[in-house]
Amino acid sequence: MSEKIIEFENVTYIYETEDEEAPVAGFPALSDVNLTINKGEFVAVLGHNGSGKSTLAKLCNAILEPTKGKVTVKEIVPDTEEKADEVRRIVGMVFQNPDNQIVATIVEDDVAFGPENLGIDPSEIRRRVDDALKCVNMYEFRHREPHKLSGGQKQRVAIAGVIAMQTECIVLDEPTAMLDPKGREEVMNTVKRLNKEMGITVVTVTHFMDEAVQADRVVVMDGGRVVMQGKPKEVFSNVEKLRSYGLDVPQSTELCHVLGIKEGVLNVDECVEEIARAMGGAI
Amino acid sequence: MSFAIETVGLTHYYSKGTVSQVAAIDNVNLQINKGELAGIIGHTGSGKSTLISHFNGLLKPDSGKVIVDGVDIWKDKETLKNSRFKVGLCFQYPEYQLFEETVYKDIAFGPKNMKLSENEIKERVLRAAEFTGVKAEHLNKSPFDLSGGEKRRVAIAGVMSMQPEVLIFDEPAAGLDPRGRADLINLIKNYRNQTGSTVIIVSHSMEDIAEMADRVIVMNKSSVAMQGSVDEVYSKGDELRSMGLNVPEITEIFAKLRSKGIDVPANVYTVEQGAEILRNLMERRSEE
Amino acid sequence: MIRDITIGQYYPGKSVLHNLDPRIKLIATFWLIVVIFLCKSFFSLGLITLTAVAAAALSKVPPKMILKSLKPIVIILVFTAILNIFYTQGGETYFEWWKITITEKGINTAIFTMVRIVTLVVISSLLTYTTTPTMLTDALERILSPLKVFKIKVHTLAMMMTLALRFIPTLIEEIDRIMNAQKARGADLETGSIFQRTKALVPIFIPLMVSSFRRAYELAFAMTCRCYTGGEGRTRMKQMKIAARDIVAIVVCTAVTAGVIVLNIFFDAVI
Repeated sequence: MSEKIIEFENVTYIYETEDEEAPVAGFPALSDVNLTINKGEFVAVLGHNGSGKSTLAKLCNAILEPTKGKVTVKEIVPDTEEKADEVRRIVGMVFQNPDNQIVATIVEDDVAFGPENLGIDPSEIRRRVDDALKCVNMYEFRHREPHKLSGGQKQRVAIAGVIAMQTECIVLDEPTAMLDPKGREEVMNTVKRLNKEMGITVVTVTHFMDEAVQADRVVVMDGGRVVMQGKPKEVFSNVEKLRSYGLDVPQSTELCHVLGIKEGVLNVDECVEEIARAMGGAI
Repeated sequence: MSFAIETVGLTHYYSKGTVSQVAAIDNVNLQINKGELAGIIGHTGSGKSTLISHFNGLLKPDSGKVIVDGVDIWKDKETLKNSRFKVGLCFQYPEYQLFEETVYKDIAFGPKNMKLSENEIKERVLRAAEFTGVKAEHLNKSPFDLSGGEKRRVAIAGVMSMQPEVLIFDEPAAGLDPRGRADLINLIKNYRNQTGSTVIIVSHSMEDIAEMADRVIVMNKSSVAMQGSVDEVYSKGDELRSMGLNVPEITEIFAKLRSKGIDVPANVYTVEQGAEILRNLMERRSEE
Repeated sequence: MIRDITIGQYYPGKSVLHNLDPRIKLIATFWLIVVIFLCKSFFSLGLITLTAVAAAALSKVPPKMILKSLKPIVIILVFTAILNIFYTQGGETYFEWWKITITEKGINTAIFTMVRIVTLVVISSLLTYTTTPTMLTDALERILSPLKVFKIKVHTLAMMMTLALRFIPTLIEEIDRIMNAQKARGADLETGSIFQRTKALVPIFIPLMVSSFRRAYELAFAMTCRCYTGGEGRTRMKQMKIAARDIVAIVVCTAVTAGVIVLNIFFDAVI
């Protein structure tokens, strides 16, 4: 059994005031959620807008406190400000809008912001900042002003800011929603590399199916509940069910499903192969 | 017959007169036919946003002309003002332009600027609300109390209520989830079918354009790189890829099937279309 | 393109002036400004003007750019010169007609004041040409940090300044976007009476406020996520160290001050 890093136990969350995130106050954004994220995993949380997926993300690093139930991060229950801070040293977060999470006027200063808050030695910060920027391929942009970068580049700077804090887990809340296809690809490649090469646990919240396909595990949210979870292949085998949750499937998956060839096909190559096979070698 | 919009040698520079002067759009000659649904695609920085900002006179060309319904919009002040009403422009994330106390007032902002009568304004607001699926009980609510998707509909209604002859959408589906996106595509298609207006969609999503457009215009490096029917443009996968655009997954599947020697057409861009072709092919094979 | 806006007027370079510790630069600038006001004679003023010219040469900022920073004060210069010429009387009379009398003292004072203002502007713009706004904020924070004893939240103020600098370009971009969106809906921002024009700003101002609040809210979240809890226990990646050149700068300032005092004693005061 692999080591747990984040654990949700019967978590319910109700927004108190009417704010941007919750047009319907008093209605549970999450109800009775049980979920475990294991160390080293790459988990994609899928759901339509308002399904509770962003709330789930914010509970991961104690930005929100559960109304009922318990969120545990490596045996820490963040019920005090000090413990919440400890949790944030373990779980870092990247948000949707790249503009609203960059605090400094120079790229490298922004990446240094987290480690500086942790009170790390200046020379060590320097080393971490350089490494983090290299890791997201933004090293040559270190002296630039963030507002002159593209969306994908800004998002990579934000990711570098988390890497420099050396958190074990990174939670990304719709990191690609505001990006163009090129930016999306840059960010997803970076995230995958963090997971595969550096062993950082990744939880990414998204409504792009092609991003979810790349994960180890897919968690589907609807109406504040976890309604499906499993390997991408298993989850994407239920095309009709996913549709009923306001989601879609990749076109490869859909084509094979409509033709009744095979369920849970995830990419173009697999799809082409299955179609060729269905043609019965009559080529 | 004149075109809905025509550009002649349209050129616009960034940082004009300085050393860093670059052409955002360079000698663009383009015709948008009346009543068509045209899609403009191109990667970020290809000049597509600059191009559409010229269509209603928000930007002034450094050289060249923008002709709307046969008239050069920069002819005089009056023509320029009218071009704003003739060509409606709905920007990316339009929900951030909402400001009025009520949804009704916000949708009425455009028609009010057109100095229409109260009755005419009311009629237009209700019609636009109906088109966009803004619920009647929301009309007296504050737009800021609505959900993200509802806000977007209100904002779109705010442009539709001007009843422009040409309606331009810049990335209409940005940030929406799959259901929201599908709803929006239907909304735009219905609007076009029922009003017969000219519609232009600007997007970097090849899938969205494939589902809506009659004709596709590809922008690359500040000028028009390709134009034609969806069929013609999407069959040139390699060229599109070299411009930083991705053809839809389904088109790629069919390209790979062809390279495997399976006799399927190259111009497939929606799943329904692809499924139909393969189903027929399989039936034929089993009969043989 | 609006994205190209640069805040402040930093001129990138690697000159001695660029490399000075920003704290020293800030202190030296204020120091020299005080000294400018100590000058009484043309000779003492000449010394400090010469210092300013030498500093400008050292900075390798093109003279054209330095002259550009004088452009906004031309009107002030002309105005003070005229006032001085007509209202300061004394010494030999050069010109007399009706109520206008131009005297030696008037001319001298006018020239003296003009040179003084120009020198002041050159010295302070050299500071902003060779130091980024961020470095200035940082330097200010460090210089003022002893004020912590008096419970003044120096760090918080500096953080606020940094965030303001960071968000000015973002907000300018946003204003541009909202203005275009409302113009596309026929909003008329250019014509009408002052009252009408002020009213026409409502459709821009409200969305701007709404989005700024949202940004502030999200930014606060993001900063909390990155373990920001205020200035306590924070370290800084970029350390400021006093180098030999900084000591030289202070020595130069001291020498200039001494020179000014001596020249003031030995030569006649103009004012």
